[in-house]
Amino acid sequence: MELKVKRKFLRTIIIVLALFIIGSLLLFFSLPRLLIAPTQVEKVDVILHNAIDARTTTDDYVAELYRLGYAGKIVCISPQASWETYPADYARKHLIYMGIPEQNIMVLHLPIPDCPAGSFRLIADYVYSQGWKRALLITYPQQSRYEGWLAGKIFEKQKIGLVVTYPPDDEDELTTNWWREHWKVQRMINAAIVIPLDRFYSECR
Amino acid sequence: MKKFEQILTFFKQSRRLRRVVIFAPVILLAVYFLVPAGLNWLALSLIRNDQVEEADLIVALGGDLRCERERRAAELYNQGLGSKLVVNGLQYSWGVHTAEAAKRFVVRLGVPERDVLMTCDTYNTRTEAQELVKLMRRYGFKTAIIVTSSSHSRRALYTIERAAPDFKFYSSPVPARPPEWQPRNWWTRRGDVYVTIREFLSWINTLLNAWS
Repeated sequence: MELKVKRKFLRTIIIVLALFIIGSLLLFFSLPRLLIAPTQVEKVDVILHNAIDARTTTDDYVAELYRLGYAGKIVCISPQASWETYPADYARKHLIYMGIPEQNIMVLHLPIPDCPAGSFRLIADYVYSQGWKRALLITYPQQSRYEGWLAGKIFEKQKIGLVVTYPPDDEDELTTNWWREHWKVQRMINAAIVIPLDRFYSECR
Repeated sequence: MKKFEQILTFFKQSRRLRRVVIFAPVILLAVYFLVPAGLNWLALSLIRNDQVEEADLIVALGGDLRCERERRAAELYNQGLGSKLVVNGLQYSWGVHTAEAAKRFVVRLGVPERDVLMTCDTYNTRTEAQELVKLMRRYGFKTAIIVTSSSHSRRALYTIERAAPDFKFYSSPVPARPPEWQPRNWWTRRGDVYVTIREFLSWINTLLNAWS
């Protein structure tokens, strides 16, 4: 009898463990589908360039959207990347170098954020102060679904319409054999951690 | 009244129920006190802080947006604990190289430019360790003080020592106080929870020798 109970207990543990491993694997390989939203672009008042990074093609994408007439103004946004070094300043220079008139490109420096919601509140306040009613937020593909929802909610409080997008090339680059490369896995996991974590802290919701 | 008597009789007769009633509060109390202690202990286990001795090099690992690592490394340099200082970084975006910015910062803190060395394109701790070891072999350095964030210190030293077992490394992390990560009651602060979880996931990656 004792042995039967032990066997049953062991079998239950093995089944639970197997289900946990299968679930984790399924979740891991579903990350791109779960995190990346379909990209959409509309005519707006301003493009919010919030994905400044060496591994992205966002500067080119922002310049292209401007030239296609999707918006008349661009705001380059970033916290500091090192001592007195704000990538937003350099993104502005890059866009000017690519032929965008400098009077149409602004810069917004952000404090180093604890969570995305804090940054979006500051961005929404800035957009509101400029009198813009519709904005196009350029983000990273892996953050697009969550940030689209979170930033949309925050911007809506200021009565600002928001559309979130990212360069299609970046999505291709990120999702190609992503589980094999450290930087791609790191980005996916980091983006995935943020979502449940923010739910527990009122300042991040 | 009758119902109460029935419950009391059932309680007296049921040994199992009596056990649950007695042990449940004890277990709950133990969980209440032991879980925070355990979580604090886990976070403290991420930190490695050695008794620092004079070394050939002081190394500020990259990735610190506030440059607290570079500030701490410059302090150690100014105390005469190393003759050269290494800063790390990468091409962050168009026109921005974080190692160059870090170099400008330590020079401003009083470190002579000729004593500042750079390693570039270090995207993670393992590539950072490999680049550092190459640099040490090239210049004939044998000892180094590694400066990084507290939460990263044990893993950084583990990775670097594994890359060069013949060299001697000391850990002297940035103090764990605001606005930096703090191990005490870390689960109460959103920023610290993120750092702690990420660090444990990175430990798993390091120990499995998975992605690099």
